[in-house]
Amino acid sequence: MKINKSLKLAVNIIVHSKLRTWLTIIGIVIGIAAVVAIVSIGEGMQQNVESRLGGLGADIITISPGGGRASVGFRGGHGGGMPGSTATSATAENLTKKDVLVLQSVEGVEYIQGIVSGRGEMYYLGEKATVSVEGVDPLVWKEMTTSELESGRFLGPSDYNVVIVGGRIAKDTFKQPLTVNRIITIEEKAFKVVGILKESGGFGGDDNKIIMPIKAARDTLEDVGSDEFDSITLKVANTDDVDPIMEEADKKLMISRHLTEKEKDFRISSSQSIQETMSDITQTMTLFLGAIAAVSLLVGAVGIANTMFTSVLEKTKEIGIMKSIGAKNSDIMMIFLLNSAIVGLVGGLLGICLGTGISSLLPFLGMRLMGMGRDGMTTVVTPMLLIYALLISIGIGMVAGVIPAYRASKLKPVDALRYE
Amino acid sequence: MVIQLENVWKIYQMGDIQVPALKGIDLEVKKGEFLAIAGASGSGKSTMMNVIGCLDLPSKGKIFLGGDDIAGFGESKLAQTRGQKIGFVFQQFNLIHTLTALENVMLPLEFQDVDTPTARKKALEILNLVGLGDRVHHLPSQLSGGEQQRVAISRALAVDPEIILADEPTGNLDSKTGEFIMDFLSEIHRNNSKTIIIVTHDFYLVKRAERVVYLKDGEIERIEHKPKEQGGEFA
Repeated sequence: MKINKSLKLAVNIIVHSKLRTWLTIIGIVIGIAAVVAIVSIGEGMQQNVESRLGGLGADIITISPGGGRASVGFRGGHGGGMPGSTATSATAENLTKKDVLVLQSVEGVEYIQGIVSGRGEMYYLGEKATVSVEGVDPLVWKEMTTSELESGRFLGPSDYNVVIVGGRIAKDTFKQPLTVNRIITIEEKAFKVVGILKESGGFGGDDNKIIMPIKAARDTLEDVGSDEFDSITLKVANTDDVDPIMEEADKKLMISRHLTEKEKDFRISSSQSIQETMSDITQTMTLFLGAIAAVSLLVGAVGIANTMFTSVLEKTKEIGIMKSIGAKNSDIMMIFLLNSAIVGLVGGLLGICLGTGISSLLPFLGMRLMGMGRDGMTTVVTPMLLIYALLISIGIGMVAGVIPAYRASKLKPVDALRYE
Repeated sequence: MVIQLENVWKIYQMGDIQVPALKGIDLEVKKGEFLAIAGASGSGKSTMMNVIGCLDLPSKGKIFLGGDDIAGFGESKLAQTRGQKIGFVFQQFNLIHTLTALENVMLPLEFQDVDTPTARKKALEILNLVGLGDRVHHLPSQLSGGEQQRVAISRALAVDPEIILADEPTGNLDSKTGEFIMDFLSEIHRNNSKTIIIVTHDFYLVKRAERVVYLKDGEIERIEHKPKEQGGEFA
């Protein structure tokens, strides 16, 4: 028998047992919807991470003081300190000009700068706010930053008491928006605003920072030694070399700072490595939640199998009739397999609609997951996700239908005809 | 010779006991013959119909259908033989109640991979012949018993089989409708020279046949030949 005829008969069976079929379909709809919604949350987190880390620049390596992984063990061994604390601790020495010189010798580094940072009180038109201040090398910074100017100019070599203001500070922090040429006060020193940055939206960007020449920052911020840096950033010439350069820089710093692996007191990271770590976390989470959702799919599959067994029992006589008028075992098998595949297909289609609906509503529920950002949760439903979901639901339908369909096909025509 | 049974046994296993339903049946049915298999219930006539109709295989012995021994057939070959050579008419009509009259008649053709337009044309032709041309889109539940049996006969005729096997074809019908159905079967026998085998315990039906095989306890008790004209006289 041709497949389209089998399909017609399969549809006929479904059409004539509406209620039971719909109940079965609901089982699959819930399962697929749950999977689609949850995976869309995962995809959303993934994209969130990617877009927010984008502000760091793929070719930037950052070295900051503080315990690396190895030093956790070191400090733990001494019975004191907070394991895993990343802040500058007693054992961690600040980065110095010497470190910058050492890093300069690493091959493939295009730009290098030491940065000092801290928080300072800022006054503008009688309003006060605490802001992060970053002191940068005026010439190098503009080559390394991924931020773009909204208005004004970058820092120049002879600049001293001028600042560039991050987009969000300029727009949102004060009642009156900050503009170029305004005078502000930071830690009781007056600065002229020479540039406003565009908002990047990501973290790692400069939206919430005040950028000033490093000389001015040393004079303004407290607790900043004249020779020390809070971090050093490198820009590599070729993005593909980020990993080997990180290794090289790591090695050279260890040697120059006379450190063993255990005593390591600095961390080295790139936006790529951060991104990879974050991706791993979100993927694991998505997988975990997806597995929970898959349980409901399993329940749905059992539901299909159950319905199919009932259906086969109910259709025993008709199976006998069809066999007596020439249906082969394979014809009967096909009819019932298609029957359960259709249940899977319809369940899958409705499931992805429901799942997409739920996933588009989730952000409005104001849920925040993993503390990601001010916009709350974003969810992303990719076409691939929908296609997979549909294939899975059809597959589940067919797998669940295999045993009942096989049973139906093996019924002996004599016995089946006698069944009432 | 369209059907030939050689020492056919059918033995059912009931727990530890073996119950023979057919005990060494030898029978030959000629092409175009109108044969009746008669007997009380439990005589083995249904079993005989099942093995002749390829619905069941004999435990022992040979059954030749058009020269081939079906005892050696696999499942799909048996199904194919049923679909092409045999048309069944049942006491309970056995229509698929979710399909219309037309779809029911088209079904055996579709199992033989006949394309839809051809199957449809053929089915409509036969339904017109049995006088149901205006009821083709009715479901079995919307048809009377006699009409349902006519649909069933149409279905049996759809693939143009050599043999029509009718199991108590009038058993669920009132006598007038039953008469009509039997007239109809006789007419098919005469006009289309089909081999018709009816299985019945109704001795009135038996009279229509050219030859009657009486079964008792799984054995052929006697065979009654009637002159062909006599069978025709009642038609």
